[in-house]
Order: sequence, then structure tokens, then C-alpha cells
Amino acid sequence: MRLKLKLGDVLVILGIVLTAFFILVSTYEKNTIEKTAVITQNNIVLDRIRLDRVSEPYTINYGGDYPGTITVENGSIRFSHAECPDQVCVDTGWITRPGQIAVCIPAGVIIKIEGQDPDLDIIVK
Amino acid sequence: MRKITLNGLLISLALVLAFMERFIPLNLFVPLPGIKLGLANIVTMFALFYLGIPSAVTITLLRCLLASFLFGGMSSLLYSLAGAFLALVAMSLLKLGYPKFFSVIGISMGGAAAHNAGQILMASLMMRNTAVFAYLPILLFAGIVTGLLTAIVSANLFSIFEKTNFITKVWGK
Repeated sequence: MRLKLKLGDVLVILGIVLTAFFILVSTYEKNTIEKTAVITQNNIVLDRIRLDRVSEPYTINYGGDYPGTITVENGSIRFSHAECPDQVCVDTGWITRPGQIAVCIPAGVIIKIEGQDPDLDIIVK
Repeated sequence: MRKITLNGLLISLALVLAFMERFIPLNLFVPLPGIKLGLANIVTMFALFYLGIPSAVTITLLRCLLASFLFGGMSSLLYSLAGAFLALVAMSLLKLGYPKFFSVIGISMGGAAAHNAGQILMASLMMRNTAVFAYLPILLFAGIVTGLLTAIVSANLFSIFEKTNFITKVWGK
């Protein structure tokens, strides 16, 4: 009987869905052939990798309180091993598209894939 | 005395729920990293509805502290506090419109969304990087479902409590 949906509930759901869509739209990036994975730890850039130019898979280790390993393949990247308690980063799996991220919060490590900057196209000949 | 005992019981119940939740392999059903059912929120909702905001704050604070000491690791403390308290604020505000404008569903979902927002906000502050916000939409959508689930459990619990006069018996009012 308490579970009757009220007008306010509908507004709450609508608000959540709209917020989610707004963030989705504002973080959406077009899929491009050129893909750069940027690995940062506590906002310090550890590595920038041109994923479309990777020929052989390899791994990158990072340190800190919760060290771990990142595996790079052609066009994709992932956390393959981490010492953090929650393992959210490893569970995220491969990321492949510009705009996608994989995060290890305890270690402070973020992998973000950046696409080709459309403005650069005009400058670089 | 009764109040201290009841608060203590609720803290342990919230802790047990938060601990048990870690063993539910939610990833097998929905392959989204980092999502939780938020079972401990049922206890917060109960406290908010029957014991008032001070009790809800005490229970939430101690649950977060103890959970971090026992199994979360200290790095998780700030995230769970940010999530839990933003959820508490949101639910307290939504409860002002209860039962006329909001039902348990809206309050629970609003709490779940605020919890997610709080954790992402804390993550972006700690890592000084706004990239983590890209993960918020998935969490928000998941929160609608988990918020509904905890609302169903809470509403059923509350109606059983009221039918059996459980609160008056325990609380002695």
C-alpha cells in the first residue's frame, strides 16, 4: 500500500534519467580511427599511447599504495591486474572507444581514451 | 537506554548487510563494475522514518567508520562517507514531501542517485580529474533499479512493523 507511485516519485525518476542523459551526451565522443589512451595517476600523466599504432600486446606497471598492471592491445586497453580491494578497475574490462574510461579509485589511476581532435585535422597537413 | 540499544542494533545490522552484499555476485547478472545493491540503505531509511534524523546520522556515520575499519580499507572511508551523507541529505529532504508527494520509492531512488553522485564527486576531488563523471550515468541508471528494490523491501518491512505494532513495543512510545 505504501508502494503507490506518487507524482513526486515520477519527477525523481525523470530528474535522474535526464541528468544521466545530459552527462552521456556531454561526454559522448565520436569513434575515430586515431585513438590515444591517456593514463594518469593522481592527475599526473604516466603515459600516452596511440592505441591504433600498437602492434604487439604489452603491459605497463604502475606503483603507489595499490599497484597494478595495465595491458595494451591494438585498439584497446584494460586494467589486467590490481592490488586494490574492490577490483572495479579489473572488472571494467577492455575499453575501446574514445570517451570511455577505466578507473581504479584506490590507486588514483584513470585510463581515458581520447579520439582524434577534429580541429587538429586542419592544422596538421 | 532503549535508544542506545536500538541504535547499536541497527548499526550492526547495517554493517552485516554491507558485508553480506560483498558476497552477492551481482556482476554475474549485470556486468557493470562497481554497482552495489545498497542494502544498508534499508537501515538508514528505517532510522529516518522511525527514529529521526539524529539517529539516522549517527547510524550512518558509525556504519561507514566501522565498515572501513573492518573490510573496506581506509581509502574507501571518504567515498562511503560522501555517498552515504549526500544520500542522507537527499532522503531527508524528499521525506519532507512524504507521504503526500513522494512515496518510499522516490525517497529510496533519490537516495541512491545522491549516493552515486557523492561518490563520483569525491572521486573527482581526490583524483583532481573530472573524467570519472563519465561513469556517473551508468551508476544513475543502476541506482533507479537498486533504489526500487530497496524501496520494495523497506515498504514491506515498514507495513509489517506497523501492523504488528513492533515499533511501539520496542520503542516504548
